Amino acid sequence: MLEVSGLKVKYGEVEAVKGISLSVPRGSIVVLLGANGAGKSSTLNAIAGLVPATGKVTFEGELLSGQPAEDIVRRGISLTPEGRRVFPSLTVAENLHLGGAAHAAGEVLKGRIEAELERFPILRERYHQKAGLLSGGEQQMLAIARSLMAAPRLLLLDEPSLGLAPLIVDKVFDLITDLRSKGLTILLVEQNAERALEVSDHGFVLQSGQVVLQGTGPELVRSDLVKQAYLSE
Amino acid sequence: MDIFLQQIINAISLGGIYALLALGLAVVFSIVSLINFAHGELMTVAGYGMFFAIAVSLPFPFALAAAVIFACAAALLTERFAFRPMRKADMTGLLLTSFAVSAILRVLFQNGISARSKAVPLPAELSGAIDLGFFHIGIVPLLSIVTTALSLWALTLFLRRTTLGKAMRAAAEDFQVLRLMGIKANRVIAVAFAVSGVLAGVAAVLWIAQRGSVDPLMGFVPVLKAFVAAVIGGLGSLSGAVAGGFALGILEVLFQAFLPEAALPFRDAFVLGFVILILIWRPDGLIPAPVSRRS
Amino acid sequence: MKSFRIAALAGVMAFTAFSSSAMAEDITIGLATAQTGGLAFADQPSLAGFKMAIDEINANGGLGGKYKVTLDVKDTRTDTAATVQAAQELVAAGVKIMITPCDADPSIAAGQISQPAQIPTLTFCGTTPTIPDAVGDYMFGTYPADNGQATLLAEYAIGKGYKNAYILKSPDSAYTLRLPEYFSEVFTKKGGTVQGEGTYTMGQQDFAAEVTKIKALSPQPDVIMTAAYEPDFPAFLKQLRGAGITAPVLGSDGIDSPTTTGLGAIADGIVHTTAGFPVEGSKLAAFYEKFKAATGAAPETVYVATGYEIPYILDAAVKAAGSVDGPALRDALANLKDVEVLTGKVTYAGTNRMPSRDITLVEIEGGARKLLLTATPAPADVPKP
Repeated sequence: MLEVSGLKVKYGEVEAVKGISLSVPRGSIVVLLGANGAGKSSTLNAIAGLVPATGKVTFEGELLSGQPAEDIVRRGISLTPEGRRVFPSLTVAENLHLGGAAHAAGEVLKGRIEAELERFPILRERYHQKAGLLSGGEQQMLAIARSLMAAPRLLLLDEPSLGLAPLIVDKVFDLITDLRSKGLTILLVEQNAERALEVSDHGFVLQSGQVVLQGTGPELVRSDLVKQAYLSE
Repeated sequence: MDIFLQQIINAISLGGIYALLALGLAVVFSIVSLINFAHGELMTVAGYGMFFAIAVSLPFPFALAAAVIFACAAALLTERFAFRPMRKADMTGLLLTSFAVSAILRVLFQNGISARSKAVPLPAELSGAIDLGFFHIGIVPLLSIVTTALSLWALTLFLRRTTLGKAMRAAAEDFQVLRLMGIKANRVIAVAFAVSGVLAGVAAVLWIAQRGSVDPLMGFVPVLKAFVAAVIGGLGSLSGAVAGGFALGILEVLFQAFLPEAALPFRDAFVLGFVILILIWRPDGLIPAPVSRRS
Repeated sequence: MKSFRIAALAGVMAFTAFSSSAMAEDITIGLATAQTGGLAFADQPSLAGFKMAIDEINANGGLGGKYKVTLDVKDTRTDTAATVQAAQELVAAGVKIMITPCDADPSIAAGQISQPAQIPTLTFCGTTPTIPDAVGDYMFGTYPADNGQATLLAEYAIGKGYKNAYILKSPDSAYTLRLPEYFSEVFTKKGGTVQGEGTYTMGQQDFAAEVTKIKALSPQPDVIMTAAYEPDFPAFLKQLRGAGITAPVLGSDGIDSPTTTGLGAIADGIVHTTAGFPVEGSKLAAFYEKFKAATGAAPETVYVATGYEIPYILDAAVKAAGSVDGPALRDALANLKDVEVLTGKVTYAGTNRMPSRDITLVEIEGGARKLLLTATPAPADVPKP
């Protein structure tokens, strides 16, 4: 579904991503693992069009490279950025509205908001509150719901469990499996390698902007590299 | 007592104009980090819009519409042809661009229209006063208070109820994420400029109602006041801009009214001195803009 | 071969001699004036009139009938430093006469460059009476000075029987500060009382606080005098009348613009000074017609006329001096008497090089101006600068 080849991202003189190639099959969950600064977020941002990159990105057979973020989301790829980044002074309602405003209008838009409120009942309770007043977990739900308002076929999730209480982390991973079961394809960046590999079909390990290892979830869990670096046993 | 009451009305009326101007600056600054010193020239353009409308004998309401439309169009044109190509520049680069736009427009007015001021006569009914017995209130201050209130209400409605308004508020907080939602950056920025143009147009009408003329350099003083007001309020904060505008207007009128005669020539020094005190007390302004987590 | 060289050399010499003798009859006048920026409203129209007069004079053989004039026009952008630079360039280029902007500061700055070079220098319409003395004996004013205008206004106020006056002044410029003060001086000397003074900041636009104070005066003043001009004057007047204060208002030549008459009924009764008023059949009216025919637009201000007058003042001086030599021209200018120009007569003899000349008083009525009187204030009545 998504094919990335030879992707490079440069910030000034610093090359954060040095020619990554990966593919995400339809209906799968794929995870990118790696230490801080390995180039995981840069890879997601480059796919979403937020940062300029070279290399080739194709989605459902169409070339995406070079298109701005506004257009890529219209093609069906939604990114939930690291740190949630909800609009703090806007209400939950307004955050959701903006998530879908460029993709639907009128009754369709209302229907999508209703669907997200069904999925995340907590957001219905907080509907008219400012997003900045929500707890971290609630903000993460809102951020994901807002990304889903665009009705994407591929969801890019950047560190969705970061900084959340264990109970909430469970919820997030339940949600990820649930979304996949409803037909969504997911490309996930996670620090929590153990949990991520449990839910993933395939994983890539990044080091210094390059893919050093890849395989199915179970394969990676067994690999020495992953064991040493990312799994605490 | 009645003098005090009158000075209060004077202060609110002047503060309202400053508030509209400061809002115009803040709307753009909050989204693109540009302090648009050409904002004053948008007012001048609005003034010429009124002048030309009256010169071709259009009814007065059309002159008002012309002011707002001209200012809005000028704001969009400067955005498209001056600021958009400089989008990637840093804050200093944008600031210098706005100085350049301002200087170019002034020379265009001077050499293309006239270096002399042009009379913009208002209907005679507007220059009177309403006598309430115990005190009277001028029609122009009254109208400017009403106009300011209506404009603020309309802007609030726009920002809260419309998708574009919400998008502008969101853009002020996190522009990148807004783009991730599929909302076009250029569109939001253009709307911000258009809104600032409309605000400049309305402020220009109120400003011209006081002075009765438009000249090429008309925008210089108001844009400085607007800048001071925006800083008092908290640069980039919309409610701060309104608060700062009123604070500046009230300070100016009260110092003018109640300073001793001998100190009057130094009124502006007193006002700015007080502004400095405010900023020592609240370095980020009265109502600071939410600090965006990434810039 | 040799003879050819000699012939060629002789030819070149003859040509040089011919062209230099032609050059001797050509002089350059340098103009360091503000064609953009805050003074352009005065310097642009002054220059338009000036150029027109130079064209006419050149068509008649030049200044004094023999010195064809070329102009070296530099824009000083209303910047005093740029004015100094322009003056230095003009002096270096060897101009014989220099013209400076309609304001004291840049005129004095430029004059201090041209004075040591012995170049007679005239300000377009600087009205501050101290300009010539601040520079020296090569500096001349041309326009009715502040103290002269104030004298005429005070005499008019006394003549109308006004006893109590209120003056509004701004310390931001010599004009807005000193003109009302000269008025106070003459008005008090002639038996009037100055009841109060208000101060404003130029460009402040909001006079509500000042007006509220005037409203509280008891008794109300018989007359209010100010040298405020746009945008301050219209704003002040609107708010004054809006507050129901009906005292007559006296103003100076700064409000001689269409904006003032554009104010409608509230402008009725304003009396102000001006350099000249085109009553039908006057020279000034004829000039306005001529200007309109030549440029397609009627003059927007009397500055066009006062700019036009300067070359004719110079013409009279060059005739008297018989040369364009600096000291000779300076002396001739300083001794000019009763030179007939569009707006009356101009005299330098016996003055500090700020001319004694006719000043006009006009009253606004029904959106138009009408002539009250034209007079030269008696030198003894005019306050010392």
